[in-house]
Amino acid sequence: MAEVDRRVLYWGIFLVLVVPYLQPLGLPITVQETTKTLYDKIETMGPKNIALFSIAGGVSAWAEIQPSMVAVMRHLVRREVKVVIWGFFTDQDLTVDMVVVSVPELTTKYKYGEDWVYMGYLAGGETAVAQLASDVHAVFKADKYGTPIEKLSLMQRVKSAKDIDLVLTIDTGSYIGYYIRHWNVGKGTPVAEIGIAMQTEWLPYYPANLMAILIGVRGGAEYEKLIGRLGDGTVRMDAISVSHLVVIIVIILANLGYVMTRREKK
Amino acid sequence: MSNILRKREMILFITGLAGGMMMFEYFFAVPAVATASTIVRNWAIIISTLALGLGILNAVRLHSGHIRKRTKSQWIFSVWLLGYFVVLTVIGLWNTKFIVYDWSFKYVYTSLSSTFYALTGFYIFSAAYRAFRARSIEATILIVSGVLILLRNAPIGEAIWKGFPILGEWVLMVGQLGGMRTLTFVAAVGLIVFGIRTLLGLERGYYGGVE
Amino acid sequence: MWTSMLLTLATYSYVLYKDTAAFRFAEHSFMATTFAVAVVVAYQTLVSNAFLPIAKGDFSYIIPIVLGLLLYTLPFKRVRWVSRYPLAIIVGVGTGIAIRGAVHAQMVGQVLAAITLPKTPTPMDWFNFFFSLIAFLTSTSYFVFTKEHKGLFKIPTQIGRYMLMLALGSYFGNTILFRMAMLSGRVEELLKVFGIIPWR
Repeated sequence: MAEVDRRVLYWGIFLVLVVPYLQPLGLPITVQETTKTLYDKIETMGPKNIALFSIAGGVSAWAEIQPSMVAVMRHLVRREVKVVIWGFFTDQDLTVDMVVVSVPELTTKYKYGEDWVYMGYLAGGETAVAQLASDVHAVFKADKYGTPIEKLSLMQRVKSAKDIDLVLTIDTGSYIGYYIRHWNVGKGTPVAEIGIAMQTEWLPYYPANLMAILIGVRGGAEYEKLIGRLGDGTVRMDAISVSHLVVIIVIILANLGYVMTRREKK
Repeated sequence: MSNILRKREMILFITGLAGGMMMFEYFFAVPAVATASTIVRNWAIIISTLALGLGILNAVRLHSGHIRKRTKSQWIFSVWLLGYFVVLTVIGLWNTKFIVYDWSFKYVYTSLSSTFYALTGFYIFSAAYRAFRARSIEATILIVSGVLILLRNAPIGEAIWKGFPILGEWVLMVGQLGGMRTLTFVAAVGLIVFGIRTLLGLERGYYGGVE
Repeated sequence: MWTSMLLTLATYSYVLYKDTAAFRFAEHSFMATTFAVAVVVAYQTLVSNAFLPIAKGDFSYIIPIVLGLLLYTLPFKRVRWVSRYPLAIIVGVGTGIAIRGAVHAQMVGQVLAAITLPKTPTPMDWFNFFFSLIAFLTSTSYFVFTKEHKGLFKIPTQIGRYMLMLALGSYFGNTILFRMAMLSGRVEELLKVFGIIPWR
């Protein structure tokens, strides 16, 4: 078994992932506390509140974070919360376009400049996040489309971290840490993460500094259930179920083989 | 004059001054320092934006080298890379909505970006099969903890046995917390030590370490 | 969409078959588009955050632009020393900001979180509190390398190793979720392009 060609394994997992799309399992999903906390927080927000959608993840991670992003944005729009978007990835324009297409209310119900703005890309990592916490206008002079910041009425209300009621960082790396350090610890702004599964390394900050975390595609599926609108996250969970089961079986088989080989050698 | 500017003490002074200013601003409320820090941070952000091109410049030099040397089974692809890059950049700087740039961004970049990232799915499956052996107590704990998380994440875990998500949730929210907290704490210690060494001029890697 | 499907299959030809010209073509296409997007987005950012203030009369923004351009002397040996100045600024600022943030959030915050008593003291909460506290203390003892892990120090460090394995195992489990989600996303798109499952 140990001598099996890798390509057989690769074909195996590739084909295994096809099956649940052809024959959905429809297994129920239980909502975890880390997801429910974000839902409850947004339920308390309304038209007077401003949420920051900080994009710190690329197009490459869409499969994991797109369901959560779309579900949370739908919730924000349903609650009529104002939204400021900026980010740190060069391909984030595609992400914003995708969110706008998936949540058409951003263009039909919301007015750009008053209800939502997209400020564009920023380099600088933690330096940029720290600077934005103290003075947003010192960094951004215009939005993504070249409109001077003075002409954006929403941005006249957003001068620093203290003017944001909730930070939602769409994260595949360390930006959640920057926001915790400089926005939450520094200025007291609540911070939540919409992250890939590996972002559970930030769980030690929950709930003291990190108020909620949507963990990967599972978090997206849970949030879709909470807002009552199932989407890509829920569909993808069947593939997750099957693939995880196969991985577990493979680990068990590999270890059984190892134990048997050791006994034979003895 | 250029002899003075070349001296490493000048570089270390600027690094120490910039870093010291950031820390002073955090602990002491002095308006002049806060204003200066804001300006310097803005400078750092703009410099970082310009630094994006540096990696690309290196890549262009590398592939130009391949083309010049006619590196076997590489130079043709380098020609394609540089040609496509130049065309896209020129068009993108002129008009990002022009069909060539827009199409490349939406269909070539998006699909390849996701596809390359997803390649690791194959490798991790292979790793799970070949590498995860319970050779010791530590390895066994690692595998059991991993499997419980897998069964917590996938709805099929709950379908097999209702206890799996409960155990998995415990591992995630309690079991792993101590270890993760330690890694966070220890990383902070390392960061502070390395940072202070950098600001004191004891670490020279970032500027090449030579006069 | 057919283009993305063909490029996806070309990329996967590497793992499912072997290193092919199709894979190399896809790889180089990806690099070219990544570089182009980075240059275009960086330029757009500079226009709105640096050139715009200059056009409005704030000439101080010329300084960071000049400093940033000095970075491009790095590949040239004779004038490389010039690039150290903008590097010094980036490194100094980044280091200062990182240190000031790390102390409170990563050190003080973590210790406080570890020793904070549970709010609703059920027996399970107390068990969880002591488990994570002991896990934290023993894992931290493992990283004390100035004292040999013998004698009284042996058992706590051994327990610390087990706690670290528990954490890393959890990380491994979540990594699999991430990787499988990525792969399933590509499979889903391939099935949609082939018309096997509907677009939603």
